[in-house]
Amino acid sequence: MTLFIDQVTKKYQDFVAVDNLSFTIEKGAIFGLIGQNGAGKTTTFRMILDLQETTEGNITWNGTHINSINRDVLGYLPEERGIFPSMTVEDQLYFFGELRGQQKKKLKKEVDYWIDRFELEDKRKAKAETLSKGNQQKVQLIASFIHKPEFLILDEPFSGLDPVNMDLLKNAILELRDNGTTILFSSHQMDNVEELCDHLCLLKRGVSLFTGSLLDLKKQYGKTKLTIRTEIPKEVLERLEGVKEIHVGKDQYTLTLINESYAQSIFDFVSNGKYIEKFSLDYLSLEEIFKDKVGGTHV
Amino acid sequence: MSKFWLLVKQLYKQKVKAKSFIFSIVLYIAVISGVMFWSDIKEAFFQDEAMQIALVNETNAELEGLFESTSDIEFTFPNEDIADLEKQVIDGEYAAAIFVKDQENSLAAEIATFEPLTFNDQLSISSILQYAGKLYEVQQLNLTAEQAEKILQSETVISMKNLNEQSVSGKSEDEKAAGIGASFLVGFLIYSFVMTFLSMITTEVASEKGSRVLEVLLASVKPATHFMAKLTGIFLLALTQIAALLIIQGLLFMFIDGGSKWDLVMEIANELSLTYIGYAVAFLLLTIILYLILGALLGSLVSKVEEAGQAMMPAMMLGLTGFYVLISGMASPDTMLIKVFSYIPFTSGMVMPLRIGATDLAAFQPMLSMLILIGTVILLFLLSLSFYKRSVLTYSSGGIIQKIKTVLKVTT
Repeated sequence: MTLFIDQVTKKYQDFVAVDNLSFTIEKGAIFGLIGQNGAGKTTTFRMILDLQETTEGNITWNGTHINSINRDVLGYLPEERGIFPSMTVEDQLYFFGELRGQQKKKLKKEVDYWIDRFELEDKRKAKAETLSKGNQQKVQLIASFIHKPEFLILDEPFSGLDPVNMDLLKNAILELRDNGTTILFSSHQMDNVEELCDHLCLLKRGVSLFTGSLLDLKKQYGKTKLTIRTEIPKEVLERLEGVKEIHVGKDQYTLTLINESYAQSIFDFVSNGKYIEKFSLDYLSLEEIFKDKVGGTHV
Repeated sequence: MSKFWLLVKQLYKQKVKAKSFIFSIVLYIAVISGVMFWSDIKEAFFQDEAMQIALVNETNAELEGLFESTSDIEFTFPNEDIADLEKQVIDGEYAAAIFVKDQENSLAAEIATFEPLTFNDQLSISSILQYAGKLYEVQQLNLTAEQAEKILQSETVISMKNLNEQSVSGKSEDEKAAGIGASFLVGFLIYSFVMTFLSMITTEVASEKGSRVLEVLLASVKPATHFMAKLTGIFLLALTQIAALLIIQGLLFMFIDGGSKWDLVMEIANELSLTYIGYAVAFLLLTIILYLILGALLGSLVSKVEEAGQAMMPAMMLGLTGFYVLISGMASPDTMLIKVFSYIPFTSGMVMPLRIGATDLAAFQPMLSMLILIGTVILLFLLSLSFYKRSVLTYSSGGIIQKIKTVLKVTT
């Protein structure tokens, strides 16, 4: 059960939304598609969902062209809220479940489980329009996978959620993954992508800047982020060999090294053979890599 | 249940339970009943006292018998002098005083009032005076009662002979009058239904598109299925409303006032041919379908539900045009304007029934108009289906033309 995107291009009259994009998502994997606004993420999702045709290239699910598969194997959460405002939470979930080929009787167990899991029991009979933004997001999310899809697309699933609900959602995504659902999602919150994804594709104006495992991406940059807590003044630290940049935090420094080989000599200098409270060498965060790749400050 | 019927059921259930839908049925029934039972309502709620009219006969003839009092006008024949009567008119005891005298063997009347008479009252009094004048003149000719009766009741017998074998046989005046009345009702219903359901489908599609729920739905069903489900759901609602109106209104007519209004409806229906009724129903349903297709298409163009009103404006103007042309034809259903608009698909549903019911026309003419309408429905359906697939997920700003340009730009 793999999704295979093979040299897909989507052209409009005067611009190219997606240019020669290729990636593969294996069964049970969580794959992140990240990029700035207008990078082509939603267009890619729509092509996978057969809502838009590709100009060139092929998209297949388990070897079958995407426009020939049974659409009930797919689940989709769009970026903006997409629920019926005047329908109750429960009716909404039954409706979307039935629309994706499930029988109402069989849906009851799932509906009850997820309503309970997302703490929506007291909202079961409430109309969607009366719910808070976060609760609407939860209802919409349940609606996207109530039919137990084989492949689930989540476009910005975390937007509008508070930290507690964000954790609920992350756990639900992991549970779905553990049950065999293949998940493709996009998010502007890089920490979430970093936490959930094994593989990702980084898009800039429709072009893939990187496709592969998160670890491989990080290895491209190496362990160049050094965080230390010391009394040594900034002016001294920035003159050390191998230091490219220094950022002064509240009670610590963050140094960007040219490469990780300089870390040893810096450690020797800073510790001078004594106890040191903090010396941490790590990969760059995905957000830092993203900013570096796309060349902007806004994610 | 298939996805198509699931969408139809969801739409139908949601709309049929809506307060606005139930209210619209109640409103239609209230309006139609109000018109039909107006005389009873007026009698029950507005029992005005009859207008008091003093009539002074200054001729030598016996005129009292010619001025019979009715529920609206009560004639009295006081023997007081003119000044006293005029004072009573000023004091409001009489609404008017009429002084009738002989003028060269004809009747002349002078109506004295203090408060001006309403237009209707003035017409009623004039009509009574004109009739009295005719009777007075007949009396002056010293005819026998039979001769007088004959003159007063004389009426030319008119019959129609149709020399055009291709044309349908000529309709009687009664049939044409019934045709005009029924056509106005059919035209009004078509116009009202078209406006109601055009607005409903445009808003429905625009609302789903604006709330992005459409994107979720289209991930499960093909745009063509969604388009067809919207048309079917709203069309079933229209049929429900028509059926509810016919049944409730029929029962009201049958059981209120001893069924007198039901008899009246049956009387009019008997004057109408089966062909007329068949055409009227077919034009009603096809015109609703035509506007529903247009409404769904316009709804798919907008980005949010607030723009639906602006988007449906061109279709509403088309409907309004048809309705105004129909009204213009109530007095004269044979004009060139009526003929032209009875073939234009968006107006023919309102105008052609008038021509069928109230004029003599060849059998091929309504048939041709119907074929043009059917052809347009099919063509618009195919075009809309193709365009809907492309417009339904395209979001853009600007007017309708700009939106169409954007859809074409981003999907070709």
